[in-house]
Amino acid sequence: MGIVIAVISGKGGVGKTTTTANVGVGIALNDKKCVVVDFDIGQRNLDMILGLENRVVFDMVQVMDGEVGLKQALIKSKISPNLSFLAASQTKDKSVLNSEKILKLINDLKADFDYVILDAPAGIETGYEHTIEFADRAIIVVNPEVSSIRDADRAIGILDSKSQKVKDGEEVFKYLIINRINPKMVKSGEMLSSEDILDILNIPLVGKIPEDTAIIDASNQGKPIILNKKSEAGQAYERIAGRLCGNEIDMQDVENPKSGILHKFKGMFK
Amino acid sequence: MFGFFRKKSSATTAKDRLTIAIMTDRENADAYPFMDQLKAEIIEVVKKYIGVKAIEIKKETQGDIDALSIDIKLEEK
Repeated sequence: MGIVIAVISGKGGVGKTTTTANVGVGIALNDKKCVVVDFDIGQRNLDMILGLENRVVFDMVQVMDGEVGLKQALIKSKISPNLSFLAASQTKDKSVLNSEKILKLINDLKADFDYVILDAPAGIETGYEHTIEFADRAIIVVNPEVSSIRDADRAIGILDSKSQKVKDGEEVFKYLIINRINPKMVKSGEMLSSEDILDILNIPLVGKIPEDTAIIDASNQGKPIILNKKSEAGQAYERIAGRLCGNEIDMQDVENPKSGILHKFKGMFK
Repeated sequence: MFGFFRKKSSATTAKDRLTIAIMTDRENADAYPFMDQLKAEIIEVVKKYIGVKAIEIKKETQGDIDALSIDIKLEEK
Protein backbone atom coordinates (compact mmCIF):
# COMPACT_ATOMS: atom_id res chain seq x y z
CA MET A 1 0.00 0.00 0.00
CA GLY A 2 1.33 3.41 -0.97
CA ILE A 3 1.74 6.47 1.21
CA VAL A 4 -0.47 9.49 0.59
CA ILE A 5 1.24 12.87 1.00
CA ALA A 6 -0.74 16.11 0.68
CA VAL A 7 1.23 19.21 -0.28
CA ILE A 8 -0.34 22.21 1.45
CA SER A 9 0.46 25.83 2.23
CA GLY A 10 -2.61 27.83 3.17
CA LYS A 11 -1.46 30.85 1.21
CA GLY A 12 -1.20 30.67 -2.56
CA GLY A 13 1.87 31.47 -4.60
CA VAL A 14 4.47 30.11 -2.20
CA GLY A 15 5.62 27.27 -4.47
CA LYS A 16 3.20 24.47 -3.64
CA THR A 17 2.75 23.22 -7.19
CA THR A 18 6.46 23.57 -7.96
CA THR A 19 7.18 21.54 -4.84
CA THR A 20 4.67 18.85 -5.76
CA ALA A 21 6.18 18.50 -9.24
CA ASN A 22 9.78 18.38 -8.06
CA VAL A 23 9.18 16.09 -5.12
CA GLY A 24 7.24 13.78 -7.42
CA VAL A 25 10.04 13.68 -9.99
CA GLY A 26 12.63 13.25 -7.23
CA ILE A 27 10.83 10.32 -5.64
CA ALA A 28 10.40 8.64 -9.03
CA LEU A 29 14.13 9.08 -9.68
CA ASN A 30 14.74 7.32 -6.36
CA ASP A 31 13.20 4.22 -7.98
CA LYS A 32 9.84 4.47 -6.27
CA LYS A 33 6.55 4.35 -8.12
CA CYS A 34 5.01 7.76 -7.71
CA VAL A 35 1.84 9.48 -8.88
CA VAL A 36 1.18 13.21 -8.57
CA VAL A 37 -2.43 14.35 -8.54
CA ASP A 38 -3.61 17.92 -9.09
CA PHE A 39 -6.43 18.59 -6.61
CA ASP A 40 -6.74 22.22 -7.61
CA ILE A 41 -10.01 21.82 -9.47
CA GLY A 42 -10.69 24.69 -11.86
CA GLN A 43 -7.12 25.99 -11.68
CA ARG A 44 -5.07 23.29 -13.27
CA ASN A 45 -1.35 24.10 -13.18
CA LEU A 46 0.67 21.06 -12.23
CA ASP A 47 0.43 19.81 -15.83
CA MET A 48 2.31 22.90 -17.05
CA ILE A 49 5.04 22.68 -14.42
CA LEU A 50 5.57 19.04 -15.40
CA GLY A 51 5.43 19.89 -19.12
CA LEU A 52 2.49 17.54 -19.66
CA GLU A 53 -0.28 20.00 -20.57
CA ASN A 54 -0.53 18.75 -24.15
CA ARG A 55 -1.03 15.18 -23.05
CA VAL A 56 -4.00 15.69 -20.76
CA VAL A 57 -7.07 13.94 -22.16
CA PHE A 58 -9.03 12.93 -19.08
CA ASP A 59 -9.06 14.37 -15.58
CA MET A 60 -9.51 13.10 -12.03
CA VAL A 61 -13.14 14.20 -11.83
CA GLN A 62 -13.97 12.03 -14.84
CA VAL A 63 -12.22 9.14 -13.11
CA MET A 64 -14.11 9.73 -9.87
CA ASP A 65 -17.41 9.88 -11.76
CA GLY A 66 -16.62 6.60 -13.49
CA GLU A 67 -16.64 8.17 -16.96
CA VAL A 68 -13.17 6.80 -17.69
CA GLY A 69 -10.89 4.24 -16.11
CA LEU A 70 -7.98 5.31 -13.93
CA LYS A 71 -5.45 3.73 -16.29
CA GLN A 72 -6.80 5.78 -19.20
CA ALA A 73 -6.53 9.04 -17.31
CA LEU A 74 -3.05 8.53 -15.86
CA ILE A 75 -0.28 10.16 -17.90
CA LYS A 76 3.16 8.61 -17.84
CA SER A 77 5.96 11.16 -17.61
CA LYS A 78 8.88 10.85 -20.02
CA ILE A 79 11.23 11.87 -17.22
CA SER A 80 10.88 8.52 -15.50
CA PRO A 81 8.76 5.43 -16.10
CA ASN A 82 8.08 5.51 -12.35
CA LEU A 83 6.24 8.82 -12.55
CA SER A 84 2.57 9.23 -13.44
CA PHE A 85 0.32 12.26 -13.36
CA LEU A 86 -3.41 12.75 -12.95
CA ALA A 87 -4.80 16.13 -14.01
CA ALA A 88 -7.32 18.32 -12.24
CA SER A 89 -10.55 19.15 -13.99
CA GLN A 90 -10.35 22.59 -15.55
CA THR A 91 -14.04 23.08 -16.29
CA LYS A 92 -15.81 21.87 -13.18
CA ASP A 93 -15.73 23.56 -9.82
CA LYS A 94 -14.73 22.29 -6.38
CA SER A 95 -18.28 21.35 -5.43
CA VAL A 96 -18.03 18.17 -7.54
CA LEU A 97 -15.75 16.56 -4.95
CA ASN A 98 -17.16 14.26 -2.32
CA SER A 99 -15.45 12.16 0.31
CA GLU A 100 -16.70 8.79 -0.89
CA LYS A 101 -15.43 9.28 -4.44
CA ILE A 102 -12.11 10.70 -3.26
CA LEU A 103 -11.51 7.77 -0.94
CA LYS A 104 -12.09 5.31 -3.76
CA LEU A 105 -9.73 7.19 -6.09
CA ILE A 106 -7.04 7.38 -3.43
CA ASN A 107 -7.36 3.73 -2.52
CA ASP A 108 -7.03 2.77 -6.18
CA LEU A 109 -3.90 4.91 -6.50
CA LYS A 110 -2.42 3.52 -3.27
CA ALA A 111 -2.77 0.01 -4.65
CA ASP A 112 -0.63 0.87 -7.69
CA PHE A 113 1.93 3.36 -6.39
CA ASP A 114 4.42 3.65 -3.54
CA TYR A 115 3.82 7.39 -3.19
CA VAL A 116 0.62 9.29 -3.95
CA ILE A 117 1.29 13.04 -3.89
CA LEU A 118 -1.66 15.43 -3.83
CA ASP A 119 -1.29 19.08 -4.80
CA ALA A 120 -3.81 20.96 -2.65
CA PRO A 121 -5.55 24.13 -3.78
CA ALA A 122 -4.59 27.34 -1.96
CA GLY A 123 -6.83 28.45 0.86
CA ILE A 124 -8.53 26.41 3.55
CA GLU A 125 -11.92 25.84 1.95
CA THR A 126 -13.61 22.56 1.03
CA GLY A 127 -11.21 21.82 -1.85
CA TYR A 128 -8.37 21.92 0.65
CA GLU A 129 -10.25 19.87 3.22
CA HIS A 130 -10.90 17.17 0.64
CA THR A 131 -7.21 17.05 -0.28
CA ILE A 132 -6.08 16.43 3.30
CA GLU A 133 -8.98 14.16 4.20
CA PHE A 134 -7.23 10.87 3.46
CA ALA A 135 -3.61 11.98 3.70
CA ASP A 136 -1.12 9.92 5.70
CA ARG A 137 1.41 12.72 5.74
CA ALA A 138 1.60 16.35 4.72
CA ILE A 139 4.27 18.60 3.27
CA ILE A 140 3.77 22.19 4.38
CA VAL A 141 5.38 24.76 2.07
CA VAL A 142 6.09 28.21 3.48
CA ASN A 143 8.00 31.32 2.45
CA PRO A 144 9.94 33.26 5.11
CA GLU A 145 7.24 35.85 5.24
CA VAL A 146 4.52 36.63 7.81
CA SER A 147 1.37 35.99 5.79
CA SER A 148 2.62 32.66 4.47
CA ILE A 149 3.54 31.41 7.95
CA ARG A 150 0.31 32.53 9.54
CA ASP A 151 -1.79 30.93 6.80
CA ALA A 152 0.25 27.74 7.04
CA ASP A 153 -0.50 27.54 10.75
CA ARG A 154 -4.23 27.77 10.02
CA ALA A 155 -3.94 25.07 7.36
CA ILE A 156 -2.08 22.84 9.84
CA GLY A 157 -4.84 23.44 12.40
CA ILE A 158 -7.43 22.17 9.93
CA LEU A 159 -5.24 19.21 8.99
CA ASP A 160 -5.03 18.31 12.67
CA SER A 161 -8.77 18.41 13.18
CA LYS A 162 -10.36 17.28 9.92
CA SER A 163 -8.22 14.55 8.41
CA GLN A 164 -9.50 11.00 8.69
CA LYS A 165 -6.31 9.84 10.38
CA VAL A 166 -6.76 12.35 13.19
CA LYS A 167 -10.41 11.38 13.55
CA ASP A 168 -9.21 7.78 13.94
CA GLY A 169 -6.94 8.89 16.77
CA GLU A 170 -3.72 8.80 14.76
CA GLU A 171 -1.40 11.58 13.68
CA VAL A 172 -0.71 12.98 10.22
CA PHE A 173 3.06 13.29 10.01
CA LYS A 174 4.18 16.73 8.85
CA TYR A 175 7.20 17.89 6.91
CA LEU A 176 8.07 21.56 6.61
CA ILE A 177 9.69 23.01 3.50
CA ILE A 178 10.93 26.59 3.68
CA ASN A 179 10.99 27.93 0.16
CA ARG A 180 12.48 31.09 -1.38
CA ILE A 181 15.10 31.75 1.26
CA ASN A 182 17.22 34.78 0.47
CA PRO A 183 20.47 34.12 2.39
CA LYS A 184 21.64 37.72 2.19
CA MET A 185 18.44 39.03 3.68
CA VAL A 186 18.47 36.41 6.45
CA LYS A 187 22.02 37.45 7.32
CA SER A 188 21.18 41.12 7.47
CA GLY A 189 18.15 40.45 9.65
CA GLU A 190 15.62 41.45 7.03
CA MET A 191 14.17 37.98 6.59
CA LEU A 192 12.94 35.40 9.10
CA SER A 193 15.50 32.65 9.57
CA SER A 194 14.66 28.93 9.50
CA GLU A 195 15.10 28.79 13.27
CA ASP A 196 12.54 31.58 13.71
CA ILE A 197 10.05 29.76 11.51
CA LEU A 198 10.63 26.41 13.24
CA ASP A 199 10.15 28.09 16.63
CA ILE A 200 6.78 29.41 15.53
CA LEU A 201 5.39 26.44 13.61
CA ASN A 202 7.08 23.69 15.60
CA ILE A 203 7.01 20.96 12.94
CA PRO A 204 9.95 18.95 11.60
CA LEU A 205 11.93 20.46 8.74
CA VAL A 206 12.48 18.36 5.61
CA GLY A 207 14.31 20.95 3.55
CA LYS A 208 15.24 24.54 2.83
CA ILE A 209 15.16 25.95 -0.69
CA PRO A 210 17.03 29.10 -1.63
CA GLU A 211 15.47 31.68 -3.90
CA ASP A 212 16.59 30.73 -7.40
CA THR A 213 15.80 32.56 -10.62
CA ALA A 214 16.27 29.31 -12.54
CA ILE A 215 12.83 28.24 -11.22
CA ILE A 216 11.11 30.66 -13.62
CA ASP A 217 13.10 29.27 -16.51
CA ALA A 218 12.20 25.73 -15.44
CA SER A 219 8.48 26.48 -15.34
CA ASN A 220 8.70 28.38 -18.65
CA GLN A 221 9.97 25.19 -20.23
CA GLY A 222 7.92 22.69 -18.26
CA LYS A 223 11.07 21.00 -17.00
CA PRO A 224 11.06 20.68 -13.21
CA ILE A 225 14.06 22.42 -11.62
CA ILE A 226 15.24 19.19 -9.99
CA LEU A 227 16.48 18.14 -13.44
CA ASN A 228 18.81 21.14 -13.50
CA LYS A 229 21.71 19.73 -11.52
CA LYS A 230 23.48 23.10 -11.38
CA SER A 231 20.65 24.97 -9.76
CA GLU A 232 20.67 25.33 -6.00
CA ALA A 233 16.90 24.96 -5.75
CA GLY A 234 17.09 21.81 -7.88
CA GLN A 235 19.74 20.33 -5.59
CA ALA A 236 17.63 21.24 -2.56
CA TYR A 237 14.64 19.37 -4.04
CA GLU A 238 16.85 16.40 -4.78
CA ARG A 239 17.85 16.22 -1.11
CA ILE A 240 14.24 16.61 0.00
CA ALA A 241 13.07 13.79 -2.27
CA GLY A 242 15.84 11.58 -0.88
CA ARG A 243 14.78 12.33 2.70
CA LEU A 244 11.15 11.58 1.87
CA CYS A 245 12.30 8.20 0.55
CA GLY A 246 13.94 7.50 3.89
CA ASN A 247 17.55 8.33 3.02
CA GLU A 248 19.69 10.07 5.60
CA ILE A 249 20.88 13.30 4.00
CA ASP A 250 22.50 16.08 6.01
CA MET A 251 20.65 19.38 6.16
CA GLN A 252 22.52 21.89 4.01
CA ASP A 253 23.09 25.34 5.46
CA VAL A 254 21.26 27.15 2.70
CA GLU A 255 21.29 30.40 4.67
CA ASN A 256 25.09 30.47 4.83
CA PRO A 257 26.32 29.42 1.40
CA LYS A 258 30.04 29.15 0.85
CA SER A 259 31.20 32.54 -0.27
CA GLY A 260 34.94 32.52 0.30
CA ILE A 261 37.22 34.14 -2.24
CA LEU A 262 38.25 30.76 -3.60
CA HIS A 263 34.62 29.78 -4.10
CA LYS A 264 33.89 33.01 -5.95
CA PHE A 265 37.02 32.53 -8.01
CA LYS A 266 35.92 29.04 -8.97
CA GLY A 267 32.49 30.39 -9.80
CA MET A 268 33.98 32.66 -12.42
CA PHE A 269 35.08 29.67 -14.47
CA LYS A 270 31.84 27.74 -14.31
CA MET B 1 29.72 46.00 16.10
CA PHE B 2 27.39 48.74 14.97
CA GLY B 3 24.40 46.53 15.73
CA PHE B 4 24.33 48.26 19.06
CA PHE B 5 23.12 51.46 17.50
CA ARG B 6 20.80 49.89 14.98
CA LYS B 7 17.11 49.55 15.66
CA LYS B 8 15.54 46.10 16.00
CA SER B 9 15.89 44.11 12.76
CA SER B 10 12.72 43.67 10.76
CA ALA B 11 12.98 39.88 11.01
CA THR B 12 12.75 40.16 14.79
CA THR B 13 9.72 42.40 14.45
CA ALA B 14 8.18 39.83 12.09
CA LYS B 15 8.81 37.02 14.56
CA ASP B 16 7.27 38.93 17.47
CA ARG B 17 4.20 39.94 15.50
CA LEU B 18 3.73 36.44 14.09
CA THR B 19 4.05 34.78 17.47
CA ILE B 20 1.23 36.91 18.88
CA ALA B 21 -0.99 36.63 15.79
CA ILE B 22 -0.64 32.85 15.65
CA MET B 23 -1.26 32.45 19.37
CA THR B 24 -4.51 34.38 19.01
CA ASP B 25 -5.49 32.36 15.92
CA ARG B 26 -4.87 29.08 17.73
CA GLU B 27 -6.81 30.19 20.80
CA ASN B 28 -9.79 31.05 18.66
CA ALA B 29 -9.63 27.79 16.76
CA ASP B 30 -9.39 25.74 19.94
CA ALA B 31 -11.80 27.83 21.99
CA TYR B 32 -14.88 25.90 21.04
CA PRO B 33 -14.35 22.44 19.57
CA PHE B 34 -18.12 22.13 19.12
CA MET B 35 -18.15 24.97 16.60
CA ASP B 36 -18.93 22.74 13.60
CA GLN B 37 -21.79 21.10 15.43
CA LEU B 38 -23.11 24.49 16.51
CA LYS B 39 -22.96 25.70 12.92
CA ALA B 40 -24.86 22.68 11.64
CA GLU B 41 -27.59 23.08 14.25
CA ILE B 42 -28.03 26.80 13.66
CA ILE B 43 -28.33 26.14 9.93
CA GLU B 44 -31.03 23.54 10.63
CA VAL B 45 -33.06 26.00 12.71
CA VAL B 46 -32.74 28.96 10.36
CA LYS B 47 -33.48 26.77 7.34
CA LYS B 48 -36.96 26.12 8.70
CA TYR B 49 -37.74 29.74 7.93
CA ILE B 50 -35.37 30.90 5.22
CA GLY B 51 -32.73 29.44 2.85
CA VAL B 52 -29.17 29.52 4.18
CA LYS B 53 -26.07 29.54 2.03
CA ALA B 54 -23.28 29.72 4.57
CA ILE B 55 -22.63 30.50 8.18
CA GLU B 56 -19.63 31.85 9.99
CA ILE B 57 -19.13 32.02 13.75
CA LYS B 58 -16.29 33.98 15.28
CA LYS B 59 -15.26 34.61 18.83
CA GLU B 60 -14.60 38.26 19.41
CA THR B 61 -13.10 39.89 22.44
CA GLN B 62 -13.62 43.53 23.28
CA GLY B 63 -12.09 44.55 26.56
CA ASP B 64 -13.50 42.23 29.21
CA ILE B 65 -16.35 40.98 27.08
CA ASP B 66 -16.21 37.84 24.93
CA ALA B 67 -18.85 37.53 22.26
CA LEU B 68 -19.78 35.14 19.49
CA SER B 69 -20.51 36.86 16.22
CA ILE B 70 -22.67 34.80 13.91
CA ASP B 71 -22.89 35.72 10.26
CA ILE B 72 -25.52 33.91 8.24
CA LYS B 73 -25.40 34.29 4.50
CA LEU B 74 -28.80 33.74 2.90
CA GLU B 75 -29.47 31.98 -0.36
CA GLU B 76 -29.88 34.23 -3.35
CA LYS B 77 -33.44 34.75 -4.46
